[in-house]
Order: sequence, then C-alpha cells, then structure tokens
Amino acid sequence: MFAPLPIGLCRTLCAITFFALAATARADEESPSQPKAITAFLQSHCVACHEGSEADAGLDLTSLGAPTDGSSELKRWIRIIDRVRDGEMPPRDAEPLRSPQRAAFVRAASDWLTSRQLELWQHEGRVRGRRLTRLQIERTLHDLLGIDIPLADQLPEEPRTGGFTTVSDGQPMSHFQIQAHLGVVDAALDEAFRRATSAPDERSTTLTAKQLARQNPRRRCREPELIDDTAVTWSGGVAFYGRLPSTTARQSGWYRFKVKALALNIPNDHGVWCTVKTGPCVSSAPLLGWVGAFEATDQPGEWTFETWLPRGHMLEIRPGDATLDKARFQGGQVGTGEGAPQNVPGVALHEIVVERIHRGPGNWAVRKVLFGDLEVKRGQPAKKIGPRKWSTPVPGEVISQTPRKDLAELIPRFATAAFRRPATEQDVAPYLALANTAFDNGATLQEALRSGYRAILCSPRFLYFHESPGKLDDHAIASRLSYFLWNSMPDAELRKTAASGRLREKWMLKKQVERMLADRRGKGFVRDFASEWLDLSMIDFTQPDRRMFRDFDQIVQQSMLDETHAFLQQMLDGDRSVQRLIQADETFLNNRLARYYRIDGVEGDELRPVSLKPDSHRSGGVLTQGAILKVTANGTNTSPVIRGIWVSERLLGIDIPAPPTNVPAIEPDIRGAKTIREMLAKHRSDSSCASCHVKIDPPGFALENYDPTGRWRDRYLVANGRRITRGPAIDASYDLPDGRHFENVDEFQSLVAATPDTLAANVAGKLITYGTGAPITFADRKDVEHIVAETRESNFGFRSLVTSVATSRVFLTK
Amino acid sequence: MTTRINFNFGRHIHRRTVLRGAGVALALPCLTAMQKALAADAETQPRRFVAMTLSLGLHGENLNPVNAGRDYTPSPYLKQLQDIREQFTVVSGSSHPGITGGHRAEASILSANTLACVGRGKNSVSLDQYMAKHLGNHTRFPSLVLSSSGNLSPSYTENGAMIPAESSPSRLYMRLFVNDSPAERERQSRRLLEGRSIMDLVADDAKRLSRELGTGDRDRLDAYFTSVRELEVRLSESAEWSQRPKPKVDVPKPVDIGNPSDFIGREKLMCDMIRLALQTDSTRFITYHLGGSGGVVPLRGVDEGYHSLSHHGRDEEKLEQLALVENAIVGAWGDFLRSLSSTDDSGPSLLDQTSVLLTSNLGNASNHDNRNMPVLLAGGGFRHGQHLAFNQRNNYPLTNLYLSLLQRQGLEVDRFVSSTGTMTGLEMA
Repeated sequence: MFAPLPIGLCRTLCAITFFALAATARADEESPSQPKAITAFLQSHCVACHEGSEADAGLDLTSLGAPTDGSSELKRWIRIIDRVRDGEMPPRDAEPLRSPQRAAFVRAASDWLTSRQLELWQHEGRVRGRRLTRLQIERTLHDLLGIDIPLADQLPEEPRTGGFTTVSDGQPMSHFQIQAHLGVVDAALDEAFRRATSAPDERSTTLTAKQLARQNPRRRCREPELIDDTAVTWSGGVAFYGRLPSTTARQSGWYRFKVKALALNIPNDHGVWCTVKTGPCVSSAPLLGWVGAFEATDQPGEWTFETWLPRGHMLEIRPGDATLDKARFQGGQVGTGEGAPQNVPGVALHEIVVERIHRGPGNWAVRKVLFGDLEVKRGQPAKKIGPRKWSTPVPGEVISQTPRKDLAELIPRFATAAFRRPATEQDVAPYLALANTAFDNGATLQEALRSGYRAILCSPRFLYFHESPGKLDDHAIASRLSYFLWNSMPDAELRKTAASGRLREKWMLKKQVERMLADRRGKGFVRDFASEWLDLSMIDFTQPDRRMFRDFDQIVQQSMLDETHAFLQQMLDGDRSVQRLIQADETFLNNRLARYYRIDGVEGDELRPVSLKPDSHRSGGVLTQGAILKVTANGTNTSPVIRGIWVSERLLGIDIPAPPTNVPAIEPDIRGAKTIREMLAKHRSDSSCASCHVKIDPPGFALENYDPTGRWRDRYLVANGRRITRGPAIDASYDLPDGRHFENVDEFQSLVAATPDTLAANVAGKLITYGTGAPITFADRKDVEHIVAETRESNFGFRSLVTSVATSRVFLTK
Repeated sequence: MTTRINFNFGRHIHRRTVLRGAGVALALPCLTAMQKALAADAETQPRRFVAMTLSLGLHGENLNPVNAGRDYTPSPYLKQLQDIREQFTVVSGSSHPGITGGHRAEASILSANTLACVGRGKNSVSLDQYMAKHLGNHTRFPSLVLSSSGNLSPSYTENGAMIPAESSPSRLYMRLFVNDSPAERERQSRRLLEGRSIMDLVADDAKRLSRELGTGDRDRLDAYFTSVRELEVRLSESAEWSQRPKPKVDVPKPVDIGNPSDFIGREKLMCDMIRLALQTDSTRFITYHLGGSGGVVPLRGVDEGYHSLSHHGRDEEKLEQLALVENAIVGAWGDFLRSLSSTDDSGPSLLDQTSVLLTSNLGNASNHDNRNMPVLLAGGGFRHGQHLAFNQRNNYPLTNLYLSLLQRQGLEVDRFVSSTGTMTGLEMA
C-alpha cells in the first residue's frame, strides 16, 4: 500500500538538505520554504477548491504550514500525498491528471517530508524520552529483585497512544506519578528485604473433602456439602455458592492449587464446566477474581491452578456453564440435601493440595541481590504459642565486618543492574553518598543499603530508556530488545552479549531474538502485544445483554482469549503467514467454545487445533475469532462503523481520520424499524461522509453476521419490551473501495488475504510502534517496505516479521 | 540538600508560552494568577468548586426542560428538585467545541482539550486543577480527586497527566480526619524526609542525564524534573501539615460499599465525605468522577447492566430502566445540594460559596455523541432558577461556563481553551 519511493534520489536530497541546514540555524525554528515544484503543482491542480476560509474540507493550501514532527500540518501533508497518490484527488470531476505528473508530485512531496523528518531525528531521535510502563516497572522490579508480588495496579492507568502504552509521546509524568512510583518502590523493597532475611515460606497442605465441605451440615449456607466422601456443589444461581473457607489465605501470596474432582449428573454430550474464582466471598465484596475453568467428567480428574491470593481471600469452585440446568434454592442459601433431588449437574471435590509458592527464584537469590555474599542472620516469623497468641516476629539481620566497603561494592553493583548499563563512578556517586550519609547518621548497614537502593529505583536512569541520538549502543539495543520481547530488563546473557560489543551484529541479534522467544518470558510476548494491538485487555469492558445472549458466560469469554493467544503463538512458533489474520483453515478450541461456535466433535477442556469446515463461519483467522468480535461490539448491538474502523486500523493498516465534529454518530435502533444498513445508506449519501465510509464500511458489513458475543447469526434480534424476537435478515454483502464486490465474509476474506504484503506492512508497523516507543510516521515508510521485502520469502511469516523488525534500522536507531 | 526550586533547565520559558500550553490565556497586564495567594486573599469568603462528572451521560429528553427561561416546566428528572429550584441552573445545547471520541472524551470533560479525546495528543490542565494550582495552597489538600470506582479521573495536571482518583470513602475519611499514631507519624516523617532527599538527588541526576541524552529527551526529562521538584515541595508540605492535628468530625468512619454496581449508594456515601471535606475546609476543590459500571444497579425495577442500558437503542424497556437509574443519580445530587445549603456556617451557606457542576462527556450515550452535554450548575452565588437553552444543532461552547467559574474563583483569566467569553445568561445573584 506504500508508494515506492526512489531511494537513491531521496538520499541525495537528504544529504543536500543536511548540508544546507547545518549552515543555517536550527531547522525546526524556521519554516524552510516549500519546494517550488510542490507549490506549482498545488497552484495549478488544487487551490481552485482548497483556498481561503471557504476551502473544501477546511483545507486552505495557501496557508498550510510546513510539516514539523508530530504536528497537525504533517498529518495533513501525509494525507495530501496519499490521496493524490491513490488517485482520490483531484476528484473525478476535475481536470484529469496525467500519471507522470501525479508521480512527480508524489515523489517531490515525499522527499521533502522525509528529509525534513530525518534531519530532525538526526539531532533528537525518532523516539524521545521513553519511560518504562507500569507493566514494565513491575516486571523489572521482579527480575531485578527476585520478588513476585503484584505492583502494577498501584501505579496510575496509562493512556495508549497510537494504540500502545509504550509510546513515549503519550506517557504522562506528574508528581502523582512519582509519588505512586515511590510507593511501589517501597513495597518492592519491603518485600525483598523481608524475603532476604527470612526462612523460605513455601509449604504445602492437603485439604480433604471433609475439610472443604460445610462444617455444620444443619446450617443452610453456601459451602459444598459432603456426599460420599466428596464435597459437592450443585449447579445453581446463589452468589458465592461453592466457596471454600478452608482455602483462605493467611498471608498474601502466590498459591498453587491441585484440584481433584469429578462431575455428577453430567449432560449427554459434554462434561460439567466449572469456574475457579477467588475473593473474600461475602456480599459486601461481590467481585471475584478469575483463576480458571475446567471440565469435570464422570472420571476423576486433576487440574492445577496458580493464583495470587490476597490475605483473607478464598477459592470458589462451582459449575459455571450458562447452558447447564440450575437448581433452585430459597433465600440465597443452600441447605444440605436440597440440591440432589433436583437432578442438576454438580461438581464433587475429592481433595485440594494447596502450595504456597514463589514465582521466580527462592529467598537465597533475593539475598544475593541485596547483600551479595554477606552472611545473613535469619529472623523468626511470628509463631503460634497458644490459643490466639502469637510470638513477636524477630527481623533478620545482615552481618558485616566492613560495612563501608560493602556499601561501596553493593551500591554500584545494584545500580549497574537497575540502570541496565554499566554505571560509572560518576553515575553512582550521588547514590552512594546518600547511603553513606544514612550510615553516618546511625542507620544500620541494612537501612543504609535500603536508602541507596530506594534512590536508585527512583532515578531517571531506572525509569527512562537511555538512548542517545543516532545509532543505539549495545546496552540500549539490549534494553529495547528485552522490553520489546519480554517487557522486562535484559537478563544476564543479554547483558553479557551487550558488554562484549557484539549485539550490533545481525546474526547475533537474530540469535538473541530466537533465544528470548524460546525463553519462559518469551511466551508472554504474544499475550502482551495482543492485549494492546487487538484490544484484548478490553475483553471485560462490556457485559453482553443477558436477555439476548443467554448462552454466553465467562468460560466462553476466557476461552475466546485463549483461542486468539494460542492462534497467534502458533503463527509465531511456526512462522506462519500474516494471511492467517484474515484467512485460516484451523483454529484452537475447547469443548465449551466449540459448542458456543456450534462446531461439533471437539472434546475436552484443553485447547486443541481444530480443522475448520467451509461452513464453520470461523475460517477468517483472527478476524472471525470471538475475542475480536466481542471487543468490537458494545454488548447489545454491533455497528459496522465501529468494527469497520477497528479492522481497518488494527488488521488492514488503513488509517481512518476522525469524523467531522458537526456530524452526529448514527443512533442505533434495536426496535428493528430500520436496519443499520438503511441508516448508513442515508448517512453515506452526503459526499463528505462517503469519502471515508467507502473504506470503513466494507469490513464492518462483512462482519455483520457475528453478534456482539461473536456468535454467528442469520437474523438480527429485536427487543420489543421484554420480548426478544427474530428481526430482519442480515445482509453482509458490500463493495471494496475499488469496486470489487463481496457477498459475505468468506468472499471478503479472500479479497483481502490476496494482498499479504499490505497485511505484513501493517503488522510490521504495529511491532515497530510497540517495540520502539514511537508510532509509524511518513519517514518510516521505507523501513517498513524494507521489512516487508525481507519477509516475502517466508510469505510474511509472523516470526520473520518480529525478527526483521528487531534487526531493522529503525529499531536500532534512537 | 538544596531547597531552591528551579523549574527549567536554564531555558527561559516565556510566560505566555506556558499559559498557552496550558490552554489558558491571561488578561494582561495581570500577574495575579501567578502569585498564588493574592487572588484568594482579596476576598474574605473562601470560594469552592465541586465538579461531578458522569461517564455515561444523562438522557437528554428526560433532563432538559422543553421550554427555556425562568418559567421552565420541570423535566422528568428535575421534578424532584423543585424545592431547590432557585439554587441551580440547567443548561442545554452546549458542549466543548471540537470534542469527539465518545467515551474517550472523558479525558476532556474538564480540560476541553480536543487532542486528548482522540488519544493522539497530550491533554492539558483541567478546570479543577487549574483552580487548585493557583488557589489550593490554603488547605491541607490542594484538591481531592475522587471516583465511584477505579482510579480513572477527568483531572489532569499541567503536564497533561491524569491524577489517579480515590474511590474508597473510608480511605478518604482516614486521610481527612484520622491522626496516625505517634510512632507511625514518626516513621512516616522519616520516610517523607528521606523521600525529599531522594527527590533532590534524582532531580539533579535528571539534569545530568538530560545533558548526556541531548535535546530530544529534554522535554520529557524536564517533565520528570518538574514532577520530582513538585513532589519534593508536596512532601515538605505534607510534613508540615502532619505536625498539625486533623480536624475532628462527629461522624464515624464510613463502611465502603463493596458492590461496584451500587452506583447510587456509592454516590450518596461519597457525597457525605465531600460535604465533610468542604465543611472542615480540608480542601476547596473536589472532582468526583462517577464512572459507569457494567453491572446491574440495585434499584427496584432495574435488572440490566447500567452500561448496557445506556446503549438503549431507543428500546422502551431499556429507556424505562435507564430513567430509573438516572433519576436516582440526579436525586442524590439534589440531596447533596440540600445538605450544603442547610449547613450552618454562620453567614452564607456552604452552597453559596461552592459552585457545584454536574456534567458528562456524553450527550447521548446510545450513540456516543459528545454534543449536547448534560449540564447542571448549582450554588456559587450565581443567580439560578433558570433553563439556559442553546442551539441543539449548533452548540454553545461550554468552556464559556468554565471561564465564568474561573472568574468566580477570583482568577483574572479571560480565556479557557475554546471559550469565547463568559457564559451568556449566567449572572451573579
């Protein structure tokens, strides 16, 4: 989709421009005049309509300023070039333009724009002042200190610019931010020092069915009841029914639960799907955290879940499939023996093994980070010394004969790791001085270390990326790479490679990319990237209307997320083509999701690759996966406009400008009087609306057969008071902007998947934006073209794209 | 340790530049706003401002009266407020010029910034924070930013950073009224002091780093530097205030409402805290964001999620239930006004000193339209009891109301972002 630019000519022009500008003052302070060729072209072909205050589309070419980085003028210039290039301007009724003239203008204007941007970047860099996101701060503190407690939630939510929180232009900074950061640093250090000075706290207990079940069978309550040595919870609607007080956490921490269970009264064609959630499970705090789901069958099975449990929270395990029959219970409580006669499905727990675990290394590793090889006298945790009586805990202590020398060794070592590059004596001096001052003022070695570490973690060298203009040095490359693939700091091997000065060699970079993607942390790449690229983090944003979409439940929703993650992971692992975003003959389903999609023959609760038949309605790759269809709808109805813009911007790489402010959005009407197609047709009859809707509407209409929960439908639903009835039939046919017609989503897929290079350019752009911290702009187009060309051989495989981006010029330059 | 406050890296920022960046232009010659204290000292009566912002709007047909002027016939939602009719004004047909983006325009409710709402630019200072910045130094808290759930807020600093909101009334109560134990205060004060030293240290390091990285990163590190210096000042102010006992109130600590869908219960509880904060002069500027929850609001006759109801698609059943929820929201707002007007403050009531605004970025939540924002304004010494009806098709700039509110606070400002003057038809009582 990008116009080929004459590279040689552009380089020459750039060189000339640099030379000329070096002699004058800074380029962005004045406005270098528009090249004559451009002015002449605009004069003869454009200004007739685009001049003065009454100019068409509000575009007055006689007063349009020169493009500067990130300005609205730049956006306008890009749009001018693109519309002339694509033949959209001058309009059909104007004097026809000969193609050499068109090409000459596009070339001249492109070169002008590119050279202006590159000149600025030479001095200031394309990415400016990028800092760690809250997710990156959490992971960095985890990897740096060896701890595992949640931290990101204590930092303010972050805006997404150009789709991503990593984009430096939109990253907020305020004293609230710093204050919250200080709080997070304190929480992290408190935990690290606690663990470094205490004995390991991992332990394991087994809860029998008797312990899991209600303790007083005569009381009506919400705990499971004991039947045949199992703790049984029936399918029912009572809140917190299935809560397990014996799983309550005495300390906040990570726990692993091994659940042994089987199903009772199973339906004919599938098992009993159960949800596992956590919470205080009392009515004043109705929110439950999601842990997972499993399908219990008539044979005993074992499932393992890991979750963070805040102190006082417990597990709730219950049948959670919306399609199951539910028992009725009076008064929001369940009496022993009330469920069994109702013959509904249930889950019977044999036992749960509870382990207190740490995600990441043990206490010894935390100790090593904070104290090096110094000896530590372990503290004593509070012990039970009587009924309701606990001993006072004794804090541990680090032992040193040469505290000053140890400070001088430990502080710089910590700084080098935290700053993600060798810290010079000068860099460390103020932090060491602070720790020394604390020690002079009577602090213990441990307290003085804590002060020094606290300051280091508040430093701009910790919070910001250290990138100097021009080509990045090895350490900056290491950081960019590890935050791109892991959202965390470089590990020991990457730091070692950077220190050896070999990271700028392409083969070594490729080797590191392979290694990092194979690593445990690399398995999070797809999830992290897609949570923003495809809005998957927003999956919870709307609750589908319960009257209209009865079968939808949280298990379906979670399975949809898992489906898309598994699909993308397979694309990455197998270097499969980006065409699969739009067209694929397989997807990943479990039994519950397959039933929701109305696909037969999928068994079990683990996702498995499923070959799709032509009439499955799911052969659109990511495009027709439930998660995507859900995040692009509002829970009640669908809008081709919203889905159309989403698909254009996220999957097809077509940027849609914001609508003019004086046009109200179409108001949906679910009473069924008019279909959205009829309403949009009227909207489009206005020519100023039509120019964008001709691009927006096709993907939107192609997806009209999918309801707001991602299920296939042939007709709309109509809400008529309390009654929901079937409404008008759905028409998903439409024309692409170039006039080619499609009858349904399958035909739409074939048309779009035929140009994989366009899809590849889009994915490359998203990866660059996410990985470097600046959105794709005009001067990046050549880099994107280069990446697309480089990956053609693999038919634009996803892994090839990731590698090509990580080794591209734009990725290795500030 | 230095105590000097240096807000730039030796680069002179022209005063006008700063203000232009902030979306506010000053009448010249006027230094009042820059010399914080003067403006408020000029008046003996403290001026206060409370902004309540809804993320799902109010259904226009139920809110806005059909006829304009002082003799308007109350709309369905306003019927319940007829006893305090003279205390508020309803405004229809106004919105922020150039704002689109549906839900995303939440960021612009109080800043009126056109870039923020499309997620592609930086936000600028919000109305409440502009006031707090210049007039907030008289109280323990320059401002309070609150929400019904979550930490999103429409309050933005001059750097365009969102201020995370407090959603727990009990935590707020602790911050406002409960003194820590001496030992805890000692520990706090030590951490505050060390925090100050650290801020001083890292601010200096930011300057060094800025020199290492060149001009490109300067703006960002500048923002970091300013933020660190501001925090340093705040920490020392906190240390000062921590020496003084907090005000005593004869209201027990509230119990938070755990159900995030109990929108109305939460609104009432937080409004009680807001009244206490104003009464004790703990702060003078409060923003309370009522973010729309997805769940079912526990009201008789409502059985569908609030967010889903707001997408009513003109379905009668949904509209009926939506009206129940929204009527209760406006009702709770009315109760809040009544509690302010009855507060005995010997002299003018708290309501007379406090401008209370209720608005939303959405004029029509069903199609995410940002025009025709719902606007109710009460108190603050304005002459109320009227319906100011502007053109529904060609909206009046709501920023004009914001300018009126700024001037009401005693700030000599003659423009707020897109304003064209003060609010037409809004006079002093």
